[in-house]
Amino acid sequence: MHRLWPGLVLLLCLCSSLNVAGQTGSEGIAVPNPGSELWREVRQRSQPLPPGGQSEAPGLALLQEIRQRRLSEMPVGRSQLAGSGAGAVFINSLGDTWRRLRMERLVPIGGYLLGGALLLVLLFYLIRGRVPIRAGRSQHKLYRYSPYERLIHWFIAFNFILLALSGLILLFGRSLLLPWMGPQLFSAVASASKEGHNLFGPLFLLALALIFLQFVRRNIYQKGDLTWLLRGGGVIGKKHVPSNFFNMGEKTMFWMLILVGGVTALSGLVLLFPLFGQGRELMALSHLAHAVTAIVMITVIIGHIYIGTIGMEGALEGMRTGYCDLNWAREHHDWWAQKCEERGETVSAEDVARARGEVSPAHIAEERGR
Amino acid sequence: MIGAFIDGPLWYFSLTVFLLGVAWRLAGIVRRGVAADLAPARGDAARGALRTIFTRALPRRPVLHGGRVQMIAGYLFHLGLLVLLLFAQPHVDFYAERIAGFGWSTLPHWGFILASEIAFAGLILLWIYRVMNPVTRLLSGFGDHVASLLVFMVMFSGCLALGQSHEALRLLHLFLAELLLLYFPFSSLMHTFTFVLSRGYTGAAMARKGVNA
Repeated sequence: MHRLWPGLVLLLCLCSSLNVAGQTGSEGIAVPNPGSELWREVRQRSQPLPPGGQSEAPGLALLQEIRQRRLSEMPVGRSQLAGSGAGAVFINSLGDTWRRLRMERLVPIGGYLLGGALLLVLLFYLIRGRVPIRAGRSQHKLYRYSPYERLIHWFIAFNFILLALSGLILLFGRSLLLPWMGPQLFSAVASASKEGHNLFGPLFLLALALIFLQFVRRNIYQKGDLTWLLRGGGVIGKKHVPSNFFNMGEKTMFWMLILVGGVTALSGLVLLFPLFGQGRELMALSHLAHAVTAIVMITVIIGHIYIGTIGMEGALEGMRTGYCDLNWAREHHDWWAQKCEERGETVSAEDVARARGEVSPAHIAEERGR
Repeated sequence: MIGAFIDGPLWYFSLTVFLLGVAWRLAGIVRRGVAADLAPARGDAARGALRTIFTRALPRRPVLHGGRVQMIAGYLFHLGLLVLLLFAQPHVDFYAERIAGFGWSTLPHWGFILASEIAFAGLILLWIYRVMNPVTRLLSGFGDHVASLLVFMVMFSGCLALGQSHEALRLLHLFLAELLLLYFPFSSLMHTFTFVLSRGYTGAAMARKGVNA
């Protein structure tokens, strides 16, 4: 609200000068000035109440009155300044509605959702533990991801983490960080987060487009995916659940990333470039869509990071080295593993280690000497 | 107190180390000289040197085939960074105030942001590639990673200070830039200058032998 003050003062000066011109000119033009009238009304209502008067805060009655009115019903308060849509409204109750929605609903619910996701992952780990490769490590591997695929995966991961951290600071910082950081430090951190978030946002959209183009073909749902879903990916029951190159869970995560992440990115662009006449309503809606979809995505990605790192043995290897363990592939993506084995695409683990420079030159020399 | 130190003595110290260090490294390379080639010259060495300095900046067919992403990311990063360094409004203001005494045309804000996006995309991709690819990972030493990290941190802190609303963020950016200046002459970042010598030497030697390289 304090940002409006300079504008209000400027408007008042403008109104005063117009008023003066009207008084001094021989034939003044009658210019309707609802802004000035509204401002006068606010000031009058903001006067301290006399002793024994109502105990309301100054201006509260007017604020409550404005809150109750719909935008189209606003009888006063149209600014003469050029603006688009609700931007030209002098006092817009929508801004306050949005602020309350953000602080009273979005922040606490989002916090519970993220906290709940972390708790769920922790509980899952404590109950289920790390999913091992039951048959143990194989001496053979399968080629799973090309260098380009791994490059764009880590590119989007890098961007996502930066955006998530800066976005969480912007959303929850006022509640969580401000009390112990103090206003000065938090102000700098919040400003830095905003700038960083704005700069890396378009890079996320670029990464999203690259991911979509590269992985879309393998993420189209196919026969067997529903079975995987109905059995909870093997969590429900002890029976093995077969799957393709990507299982139903991974495919769903891909489509969520593209669709939900796409909404996050596009709504971010609406917020980032307010140059195309988007009004206050659209901006508020975009902010809401941006925050909700981002929280959903962060929740999903927490699960993705968990299962890709500590949750499952051998899951990270494919994205780290390009190759995955043959037994891991047989246990989690057996239809794909079977096809690869039929085509004779297995590679010895030692050859992979050698190609990746993970075998010492001394070891190679020793082997040659034998 | 710390701000005044970063803005004053540390800035001049790091700039001096940078200038002297770069001069010392370049002089060291030039003073080593080249072995005398007693064979009769078959081409103009100077012309070959000049040609190679520029033509090696153009993508070559084998590279286009095998290392397309690395090549594109390389161009994005280097061109983006060059544009940012020379034409970003805050940088030009800084040069005008602290070094040159005069300014020059700058990028509009959207151009500044675009150049930052391009430079960041290139740097992140190159960094991931360096760590991910077995060959570049083995070729990269600790110093290379420090250089990458410092460049990233300088760019990142600059991006965080884009709002120009907090002195602390500007000082953080300046401090990291000063660390980079101090590290620069003693690191592989020297390729910013030495590429001219290495390409020039290769071009001259090959042209003298009559090889079109």
